Amino acid sequence: MKELSTSELGRRVLQLIVSLFILLCVTFVIGRVMPADPVGAVVGELADPAAYAAMRARLGLDLPLYQQFFIYLTGLLQGDFGTAILTGNPVSKDLAQAFPATFELATLAVIISTFIGVPLGLAAALFRDSWIDKTARVVALVGHSIPVFWFGIVGLVIFYAGLNWVGGPGRVDVYYEGIVTPRTGLMLLDSLLEGEPEIFWNALSHIILPAIILAYAAMAYITRMTRSFTLEQLNQDYVIAARAKGVGPANTVIGHVLPNIAVQLITVLAISYGNLLEGAVVTEIVFSWPGIGQYMTNALMIGDMNAILAATIIVGFIFMFLNFVADIAYALLDPRTREATQ
Amino acid sequence: MKHFRKGLFVGAAISLLALTASAAVAETPKDQLVIGTSLAQVLSLDPQQATEGKANEIMCNLYDRLVLATPGGKIAPQLAESWAIDDKGITFKLREAAFASGNPVTSKDVVFSLTRLLKMNQAAAANLKRVGYNADNVEKLVTAPDERTVRIDLSGEVTPELLLYRLAMVTTSVVDSVEVEKHVKDNDYGNAWLRTNSAGSGPFTLNRWTPNEIVILDVNKDYVGGEPKMRRVVIRHVPESQVERLMLERGDIDIASALSASDLATFQNKQGFQIQRVPTGGFYVLSMNAGNQYLSHPKVREAIAYGIDYAGIEKTIMGPYGRVRTVPVPQNYEYAISSPDWHLDVEKAKSLLAEAGFKDGFSLSLKTIAQTPRIDLATAIQASLAQIGIKVNIQQGNGSEIIAAHRARDFDLLIPQTGAYMPNVLGSMEQFSSNPDNSKEANNAGNFVWRSAWDIPELTKLTAKASLEPDAKKRGELYVEMQKMFVDLKPAVLPLFERYEPIVLNARVKDYVGHPNMTTRLEAVTKAETE
Repeated sequence: MKELSTSELGRRVLQLIVSLFILLCVTFVIGRVMPADPVGAVVGELADPAAYAAMRARLGLDLPLYQQFFIYLTGLLQGDFGTAILTGNPVSKDLAQAFPATFELATLAVIISTFIGVPLGLAAALFRDSWIDKTARVVALVGHSIPVFWFGIVGLVIFYAGLNWVGGPGRVDVYYEGIVTPRTGLMLLDSLLEGEPEIFWNALSHIILPAIILAYAAMAYITRMTRSFTLEQLNQDYVIAARAKGVGPANTVIGHVLPNIAVQLITVLAISYGNLLEGAVVTEIVFSWPGIGQYMTNALMIGDMNAILAATIIVGFIFMFLNFVADIAYALLDPRTREATQ
Repeated sequence: MKHFRKGLFVGAAISLLALTASAAVAETPKDQLVIGTSLAQVLSLDPQQATEGKANEIMCNLYDRLVLATPGGKIAPQLAESWAIDDKGITFKLREAAFASGNPVTSKDVVFSLTRLLKMNQAAAANLKRVGYNADNVEKLVTAPDERTVRIDLSGEVTPELLLYRLAMVTTSVVDSVEVEKHVKDNDYGNAWLRTNSAGSGPFTLNRWTPNEIVILDVNKDYVGGEPKMRRVVIRHVPESQVERLMLERGDIDIASALSASDLATFQNKQGFQIQRVPTGGFYVLSMNAGNQYLSHPKVREAIAYGIDYAGIEKTIMGPYGRVRTVPVPQNYEYAISSPDWHLDVEKAKSLLAEAGFKDGFSLSLKTIAQTPRIDLATAIQASLAQIGIKVNIQQGNGSEIIAAHRARDFDLLIPQTGAYMPNVLGSMEQFSSNPDNSKEANNAGNFVWRSAWDIPELTKLTAKASLEPDAKKRGELYVEMQKMFVDLKPAVLPLFERYEPIVLNARVKDYVGHPNMTTRLEAVTKAETE
C-alpha cells in the first residue's frame, strides 16, 4: 500500500505541475495577443511616442514573445511574479492583499452550502418524492439557473436597502475602514484579534449576504449530489437490513449511509470549494468585494499581464490542488479504490 | 425524524438571528465625507504622472499649485501670494505655507516639481510641452532667485495669461522635494513611492489607497487655509451603478458619481438628495478616420454631420450627460460662435453622399468603450446613419482596447470624450484644432487630431497664433476665426454634445461645488445634522 501510494502520489504531483504549466502557456499567449494597451495605461493617453516607447522597453514588451515568456518563467521559478501595472506593487504583494478577502468569502460560502446542502440532500433522498424532495429539487434548480449577478442585486435590494438586515457592499462600513490592521487579512479574524467585537459584527453583517448568494449555487450542486449518492445507498442490502431491524430513518442516514457516502462527498465539496474561489468574480463585483476576482477583472481591463498571469496561476493551482487532495483522500479513505489501485 | 426537524428549525433560527443582530447604522458620521465612485481608472496618485479625472479629484486635495482656476474660470492665488508679469515671464511670490511633513514650502520645491514633471516626461507633461517647455530647457526657464520667489520665463510659444492656466493644472502640483528625494530609486524621481503616498501641502493627506478598493484621506490639521471640517474623506470603489444607488439611498455614502442614466433618474426631485450637473468644458466626439477611403472626402463627413439625430439623442440618451453642440467650444464661453446648421436632414445627407460619388452608401465600423452613455450613443448613431445609407457595425471594447485602436489610427468611426483644461476657447478647442505633422511617421499618437489623420495646416497655424496673441481683443477675434475655419473644413473630429458629469449628493452635504476641471476641493465641505 505504502509503495504504491508514493508512486501514485508522484504521478499526480507531476500531473499537477504539467497542468499548471499548460495553463500558464495558454494564459500567457492569450494575454499577449489581447488587443489591450498596458503601456498607454501607465504613461497616459496623451503621452508622446518617446515616453511611450521608453515605458514599453522598461516593461520588456518590445522583446519577442518567446523571450518575454522565458524571462517571466525564470522570474516565476524564483518566486517573482513581476510588478503589477495596475498598482506598481510586486504582484505577490497585491495577491497577498486580495486573496484573503476571497478566501474568507469562499470559505464561509462552502461552510454554509455544506451545512444546508448535505442535510437537504439526505432528507430529499430519504423522503423521495415527498414535499421535501420536491422543494429540494426546486431549490437546486433555481440555484443552478439564476445568474449570480441578478441574484446579488436582488439580495441587496431586499435585505440591505429594504429590510436593513445586512451591511452593504464592501467588507465593513466605511467609517470602520482602516481601523483594523490586517494581520491575516481575514477581516472576521483580524477584528477579533484586535479586540474589536463591534467591527467583527459589522464585518459579519457585510459578508453574510454575498456568502449566502455565493453558497447558493454550490448548495444546489451539493444537494443534488448528496441526494443521488444517498439514493444509491438506500437500495443497498445493509440499509434494508438496518431498516428491517427497526432502525429509524434519521439513525439509518446518520449512522449508516453518511459514513458510506463521505468519501464521495469530500470530492464534491472540494470541487465546490474550488468553484467558489474561482466563481467569486461576479459576486465580488456586485458587492464591491476587494478580492482576487475583482483584482483580475481590473487587471484584464488594462491588459496588466503580470497580474492576470499570477492570479490565474493561483486560482488554477488552488483548483487543481483541491482536486488533488480530494483524489488522495478518496484513495486513502475508500478501501475499494485502494484495492483497485493495488 | 423529530430530532432532525427540530435541528433544522434551530439552524434556521440561528442564521436569522445572525442576520438581524447586526443591522448597520444607516448614516455616515458627521465628520467623514464618503464618496462612492469608480476608481478603476486610477493607476497612480503621483501628480506628475496621473492625468485621469478621478485621480485629479483626489490629488487636488493632497497638493496645492502656484495658482488655481476657480469653478467660474478665473485664476486665483494658491501657493503664490502674488505674481508680476513682464515681457519675458512671470515672477511669483510664495505665501508662507508648510507641507504635511512640517517642511516649509519653498521656491526650491516649486522648481523641483516642474522639473520633475518635464523630466519624467509622461502624459502629464503634455500641456507644458505643447507650448515649448521640455526636459532640456526647464532648468533654464524655471528658477528660484530666493527662497520665496519663483521665476518662470516664457518659452516664446505661449502668453503669460495662458501659461497661468496651465500652471493651475493638477500636474503642476508642488511636491515636498525633501520627502520625495528620500524615496528616489533607480533615477525614478521618487515615482514608485509617490504613486501610493502623498507629499503635499493640501488640506488632506493620503492615509491609504488600495487600488480598486478604497482611498482614505486624513485631514491636514496644519493646513495653511485652516483645518477642514471633515476629519476623513473616504472614496470607495463601487463599480456597479445600481449598487451605488442603493448605498446612496441607504445613507452609506454621501456622494455618488458614475451613476447610469436610469439610476440617476431615480433621484430626480427625490427628497433628501440633490443632483449637480458639473460642466466639463469637454465633449462627446465622433472621430472619423480621414485615412479611410470614404471619410477622406469632406462631403462624406458633412453628410455624416447631417445624418445624426442630435435632438433625438439629447432627449432620449444624453439627458444629464450632455447637450447638443457641434463646435468644440462650450456655448457659454466668451467668443463661442453658435453651432452650424447641422441637424438630421436625410435628403440633404443623401445628396451630399451622391455628390461625393457614393449614392449607394457603404459600411463603416464604429468603435466605442462599453460604458454609459457612450454605448447608447453608438447605437443611436448606428440607427441614424442607417437612414442615409451608411451601414455601421458597432465594436465595443474596454478602455485600453479602444484607446489603443484610437492611438494606432485603427478605426473608421470612434467615440472618444474630451475635457477642457481652461475655460476659454483655446482650453477646449486646442485639442481639436492643432496637428503639426499629420504623417504616419510623426506617430504623434498623443495628438487628438493626428489620430483621425485629419490634416489641417492652416488651422494649426491659426491656433498657434491665437496662443501667442497677447492682446485679449485680438485673441478673441482669432478665436472666432478658428471656430469658423473648423466648421468650414468639415471636421473629422466632430463634437456632438457638450459633456457634463452628473453627481448626486445627500442633501446633508453642504458647500460641495463640482469643479469643471475635476479639481473639486473639499476643505470647505460640511455636513448638516440629520433632521
